[in-house]
Amino acid sequence: MDIEWALVFFTLLTCLSVGVFAGVAASEWKDGAEAVRKSGAFLALAALVAGGLASVLHLGHPERIFGAFGHPTSGIFLEALLMGLFGLGVVLYILALRRKAAAGVRKAIATVGMLPAVCLAFAVGYTYVMPSRPAWDTPMLPFLYLASAFVTGYFAYAVLSAGREGAEGAFIRKVTLNSLILQAVFIAAFVAHLATVAHPDASRSAGRVLAGGLAPLFWLGVVIVGTLIPGWLALRAHRDGRPIPLAGARLGLLCVLAGGVAFRALMFAVGSAVREFF
Amino acid sequence: MATTKKRYALIIDLDRCIGCCGCEVSCKQENGVAVDVVWNKVREEGPHVNADAGRGVEHYFLPTVCQQCDEPQCVKVCPTGASYVREDGTVLVDREICIGCKYCMMACPYGVRSFNREMKVVEKCTLCVQLQAVGEPPACVKNCVAKARFFGDLGDKASEAAKALAAAGEENAHSLPDVGNRPRTRYILHAKTATWRS
Repeated sequence: MDIEWALVFFTLLTCLSVGVFAGVAASEWKDGAEAVRKSGAFLALAALVAGGLASVLHLGHPERIFGAFGHPTSGIFLEALLMGLFGLGVVLYILALRRKAAAGVRKAIATVGMLPAVCLAFAVGYTYVMPSRPAWDTPMLPFLYLASAFVTGYFAYAVLSAGREGAEGAFIRKVTLNSLILQAVFIAAFVAHLATVAHPDASRSAGRVLAGGLAPLFWLGVVIVGTLIPGWLALRAHRDGRPIPLAGARLGLLCVLAGGVAFRALMFAVGSAVREFF
Repeated sequence: MATTKKRYALIIDLDRCIGCCGCEVSCKQENGVAVDVVWNKVREEGPHVNADAGRGVEHYFLPTVCQQCDEPQCVKVCPTGASYVREDGTVLVDREICIGCKYCMMACPYGVRSFNREMKVVEKCTLCVQLQAVGEPPACVKNCVAKARFFGDLGDKASEAAKALAAAGEENAHSLPDVGNRPRTRYILHAKTATWRS
C-alpha cells in the first residue's frame, strides 16, 4: 500500500515523546540533573503535540473527529485517549517542576505518567495488527514500536544531557543499549514473520525486503543507519562508562529517527491486503 | 456483531462472465463514481497452465467488489460509525460523518474500498440501495450482458441469488479468502471451466 507519511511521523514523534519522558522518569528515580529533566519534559510535550498534529494531517475531515468519541472501541479512540492521559501527565509534571514540588510528588507524577505513555507506544503499533494485512498481523509490531520509543527517546535525552549528565547517565546508557538490541531482535522477528506469513505474496515477501526492491531501504535505512551506527555509539559509551559526547548523541539521534522513518515506510510498503484488488 | 436476518448479496457466475467490464461502467454511471475511483473492477485470473485438468491453459474473469461480509472488519475499526451495517445486512459508508482516516481501507482484506480525493471520504459498493428502494436490482446486475450476476437475500430461497447458488451446488460456489470477516459474496465456477484460484 502507499506510504502514509502523516502516520509515519505521527508514530515516530509519539514514540519519541514517550521515550524522552521515560528518560525524565528515570532521572527522577536516579536523582539526575533537574535542568535536563525540565528540557526533557518540554521536549516530550512538544513531540506529543507535533505527533498529534501529524495524525490530524492524515484525516480527510479532521473537523468531524469528535464523532470518534461515540465509538470507544476503535483504535483511533484508544490512541486519542492515551495521548490525552499521557499529555496530562506531562503537563502536570511540568507544573510540578515550575512550582518546585517535592521530589516524591514529582517522582509519583512521572511514574504514573509513564503508564499511559508505555501503553500509547504499544497502542500505536497495535492499531496496525489486523488479519487483513498479513505482514502486519504479528505481535512483533507493537513491541517494535515500544522499543523504538525507548531508542529514539533515550538518544534525544542523551542530546539534552550532553555535558551535564547526572547520576542517571549509566542507567540510561544501559537502557539505550538494551533497547537497541531488543529493537534489532524485533526487526529480525518481523522479517522472519514475512517469510512465514499467511497468504504469501511477492508484495510482502521477505525476499523483497532482504534482496528485492525494498533491500536498500532495509539494509541502509533500518539496519545500518537505524541500528548499527547508534548501536556502535551506545555500545562504546556503555563500555567506556562515559556519556556519549554531544556530536555522537546528535548523530545517534539523527540515525535512530531516520531508521524509525525507514522502518515505518517499509512497514507500509509490505502492508498489502490479503488480496489487493483495486 | 449480531448476524442480521436478511443477507443481501451478489452471486457472480464466472462460467458466464465474459470480462466485458460492463458492470464497471454501469456502476460508475449509476453512482457517479469519480474518474480515478472504482467500486467494482473486473480482473483476469490467468492464464494458468494446468495439465492435470486436461486443458493445458485455464483462464477466467473475476469481477471484484465489496464482499458484504457478515463480520465486516471495516465496520469494526471505523472510529465514527461511518461504516455501518444496514438492517438488511448491507455494509455502507455514511459520507457525512466519515473522517477519511482510511482505517477501514486498511482493515478490508480485499482492498475494495476507495478514497475519494475530492470529497476526502472513503467510498465503496452500496449494492445500489437507491435502485433497491424502487424495486430494481443493482446497476451491475441489471446491465450484465452475460446474465452472470444475481442479487438477493441469501436467506430467502426464492430470491434470484439463492436460486442461482442452489442450482450451482455448494462444490461449485467459491468465496474469497476468509480471515474472520466471512465474505457473503459467492462466485460460481465449475471445474469444467477452470480451477478456482482466487
